[in-house]
Amino acid sequence: MKYKDYYKILGVARDASADDIKKAYRKLARKYHPDVSKEKNAEENFKEVSEAYETLRDPEKRAAFDQLGSHAAGQEFRPPPDWSQHFASGSPFETMGQSGFEDIDLADLLAGLTGRARGRSGGRAGGREGPIPGPDYEAMVRISLEQAFHGAEIELDLSVTEYDDRGLAHRVPHRIKVRIPKGVTDGQKLRVPGKGGKGMQGAPPGDLYLDIQVQPHPLFRTSGQDLYVDLPLAPWEAVLGTSVELPTLAGAVSLKVPAGTRAGQQLRLAARGLSRPSGKSGDLFAIVSIVVPTVVNERERSLYRELSESSNFDPRAHFKLGAAA
Amino acid sequence: MNIDTAEALSLDENSEVSFSQLLVLSGLSDNDLRELVDHGALTPIDPNASSWMFTSYCVVVARKASRLSRDFELDAHAVSILLGFVEKIEALESELHALRAGALGHGPAAASDTVSR
Repeated sequence: MKYKDYYKILGVARDASADDIKKAYRKLARKYHPDVSKEKNAEENFKEVSEAYETLRDPEKRAAFDQLGSHAAGQEFRPPPDWSQHFASGSPFETMGQSGFEDIDLADLLAGLTGRARGRSGGRAGGREGPIPGPDYEAMVRISLEQAFHGAEIELDLSVTEYDDRGLAHRVPHRIKVRIPKGVTDGQKLRVPGKGGKGMQGAPPGDLYLDIQVQPHPLFRTSGQDLYVDLPLAPWEAVLGTSVELPTLAGAVSLKVPAGTRAGQQLRLAARGLSRPSGKSGDLFAIVSIVVPTVVNERERSLYRELSESSNFDPRAHFKLGAAA
Repeated sequence: MNIDTAEALSLDENSEVSFSQLLVLSGLSDNDLRELVDHGALTPIDPNASSWMFTSYCVVVARKASRLSRDFELDAHAVSILLGFVEKIEALESELHALRAGALGHGPAAASDTVSR
């Protein structure tokens, strides 16, 4: 079992008062709570903070934790020989030998002592008599834009807490295959019914909640179900109009660019974006930019010069209007 | 090892959950859920119906309310106010994201630029 220094995590002294512990928790919860924080690794940090507070706020668990002694964070350790008799009386840990602590998480060990082993992860009621629904699991899933567009079957490897017949908590690997529907967007939440933790005494299992993150794409940007792609045009293509091969997530299409197309103009390709559950797909917008060649040969230079001399186009005409006002 | 494939369901505006389903899925108490509706944090599809139905997106909001209530030790009123602010921030982030996506030559968003909604 790996040691976690809950006092250090909350940034309080080992003799901190209950009030100091609460204040420290609230400050860190404000900083790291995943629903209000934009910090990097907020969720990971909040889990640690929350776990530390769950233990230190409860006098019984705090006393049990204190008696484990002080070790370096992450160090492998075992509770002292008489610890189980003192703090785990009546719990499944009481009869556990010294070798049985390897795959037990410190939080599960301490939670198990006070009969609150189930509950925090999913919001379903825990710590009560009778059948207890399984806990919900949550996982962040990173998928490509192509997977979001077509839908995908993915495999998830989770590390979850499961309870054996004696009610002892163990961290176990859990593999699950999930079909992601097509058209999911960045930040969307999905629910996989019945794929959370096992229920106890005949209660139903929990659910698995997936937080979708769509990875940035080298060509396309997303906004909801709409997609955007930059479309660079040569000056003559913009002036004369052209037909270009435009990549889409369903394969390249031929796009007619009208004559006189301006930079910044958005050309809309209806229903070429991500599909919506309602059936109507988002759109694909090609955003025009005019790019110029940085190296030109003599012939080209001569043609540009000729164009410059024969054209009366003034791209800065509005400067004069502004100056005259 | 052969593993069955489970279907992931979108929590959006296109499917519905009942009041009792929302209670189970969110872990909120009956009273807290009714208060969240009273404070406008959650809106039933037909508030005048004898038994309330919600869009399944409300599961996301209700679970968030449950977490905020538990982790910050807040009552339903405070949670409703907080949810309102969180919703405004998310709407602004979404608008910013849309502007960036539609801006010329912005290039694909870097991983650090992605906005959680």
